[in-house]
Amino acid sequence: MTSADSEAALFSVNAPLSSRDYLRAMWSRREFAIALPVESMRSAHRTTLFGSLWHLGTPLLTVLTYYLVFGKLLKVDKGIDHYLIWLTIGVFSFRLSQASVTAGSTSINANNGLIRSMRFPRALLPASAVGSELMGFGFELAIIGAMSFAAVGASRRWLVLPFLLVVHTALNLGFAFVAARLNDMISDVQRLIPFAFRLLQYVSGVMFPIQALIEAEPGEHVVLAKVVAWNPLLRIIDTYRWVFLGTPLTASDIARTSAIAALCVWFGFRYFRAAEHRYGQ
Amino acid sequence: MNDRTRLAISVRDLYVDYEIVEQRRSAILDRVVRRRGTGHRVVRAVKGVTFDIHEGEAVALVGTNGSGKSTLAASIAGLLRPTSGEVLVSDVPRLLGVGSALMPGSTGWTNIRIGCLALGMPGDEIEERLSEIADFTELGEALDRPMRTYSSGMRARLHFAIATAVKPRILIIDEALTVGDAGFKAKSAARIEGLVADAGTLILVSHSPGEIRRQCSRALWLDKGMLRDDGPPNKVLSRYEKHVAGAEPPQSVAAPMASSTDPASPTTPRDTATAP
Repeated sequence: MTSADSEAALFSVNAPLSSRDYLRAMWSRREFAIALPVESMRSAHRTTLFGSLWHLGTPLLTVLTYYLVFGKLLKVDKGIDHYLIWLTIGVFSFRLSQASVTAGSTSINANNGLIRSMRFPRALLPASAVGSELMGFGFELAIIGAMSFAAVGASRRWLVLPFLLVVHTALNLGFAFVAARLNDMISDVQRLIPFAFRLLQYVSGVMFPIQALIEAEPGEHVVLAKVVAWNPLLRIIDTYRWVFLGTPLTASDIARTSAIAALCVWFGFRYFRAAEHRYGQ
Repeated sequence: MNDRTRLAISVRDLYVDYEIVEQRRSAILDRVVRRRGTGHRVVRAVKGVTFDIHEGEAVALVGTNGSGKSTLAASIAGLLRPTSGEVLVSDVPRLLGVGSALMPGSTGWTNIRIGCLALGMPGDEIEERLSEIADFTELGEALDRPMRTYSSGMRARLHFAIATAVKPRILIIDEALTVGDAGFKAKSAARIEGLVADAGTLILVSHSPGEIRRQCSRALWLDKGMLRDDGPPNKVLSRYEKHVAGAEPPQSVAAPMASSTDPASPTTPRDTATAP
């Protein structure tokens, strides 16, 4: 028997791919990653009356609610120019993160049928969920752009948008990977995510300028000040506001946020892949 | 068992265990306090199995319910990770099981598209071959309905059509054809024959002696997770059938074994249709 010859071509069916080969396998199935959310949405919206109209309706109604409560009732808009646009930017960009991580966390469970019958890089599932939310964000970005154009006109700062979207997506992707694995291990995670985001919303300056509130009482909120200083989502929202409204922003903030986002996606991808063989079982 | 041809699959001292949760408590509680003996139990489904399969071979895998056949099949396909030992292959095997719907809420058409995309077929090729794949299923207007409304036979037709659309070099069929009607069985058998003739490799998990004798050149008998026999189908089947008839009275074959202690339950809740 020519065992050495014939075994040369064999490989272990469980051998993990190198990151480069794994990414290559993901890239070769990009059409799958694009088609999957489109088809899921098509079957999901069959049951609601206005279908995908709610994709825009929900955030707009949220903005309206916050505008009445925080703008008209609590009057947190003092010192903020164009509060309605400022709020809209906060709500829309925060929602992108929340929707991405939520969709990522359920992406394994929602596609159990596929996972059990076919082999493909599992990271495609959270990645395609995040990508699909990003596509939907295009509409919201158009609304923000129109509002900002009407109020303050176009600006050269808009050219930064693609870079900002990359950083924002890297952050969302990293957290979506981690949430997907955690939710597959412990299904209770899915119930905790909304609360985590509610808390995060208050320290991200979505409805009111949290940094200004903290700075108004120095030494009063030491821990909170630290949290806010390191919260990458707050910086990202601030950067959107800088792009559309010209609110102040420092270069070191952008650098720090980009570094955190890169770290997030790197860690999230590795953390998700470490349990690759366990998904769906 | 031809030593001249190249190896397609080499299974070496394979053990597969898995944990089953008997009482559903809070999942968080389970993670935090791993109480021994109460919730989790380790089931050893495959215990030290070793064999080689060469290209062009069609091998049947027989055994009673819960003998570990489906676990072995899923491990060879790389969908289950072995506890120890290894599975070497010449190409990534494609597993065809009595599958659930890929996307239950979507139509048969969408399921074909998504399934082929997940297997790595390029989108334009799918569009080109969509009608051919759909024709093979013979599902007609049912393809416009959501897949969750399909019977198991209809699902099997769809799965088979997708799994064989791109010629797999190694195909593992886990009782997927038993639910099909006579017409589909003949049609799928012809396609499988073509595949094996073309230096493909087949593992067929089946309870049907007729199917095994027609399609396979070799049979493996798995008993309680161990390899009990390996040889020509006629010889292995007659020993296996004698064992089943002698060891247990016919009326008690399926019921007590398949209940709570069925070692193959997570992957084979469908492992039911034995005709003793």
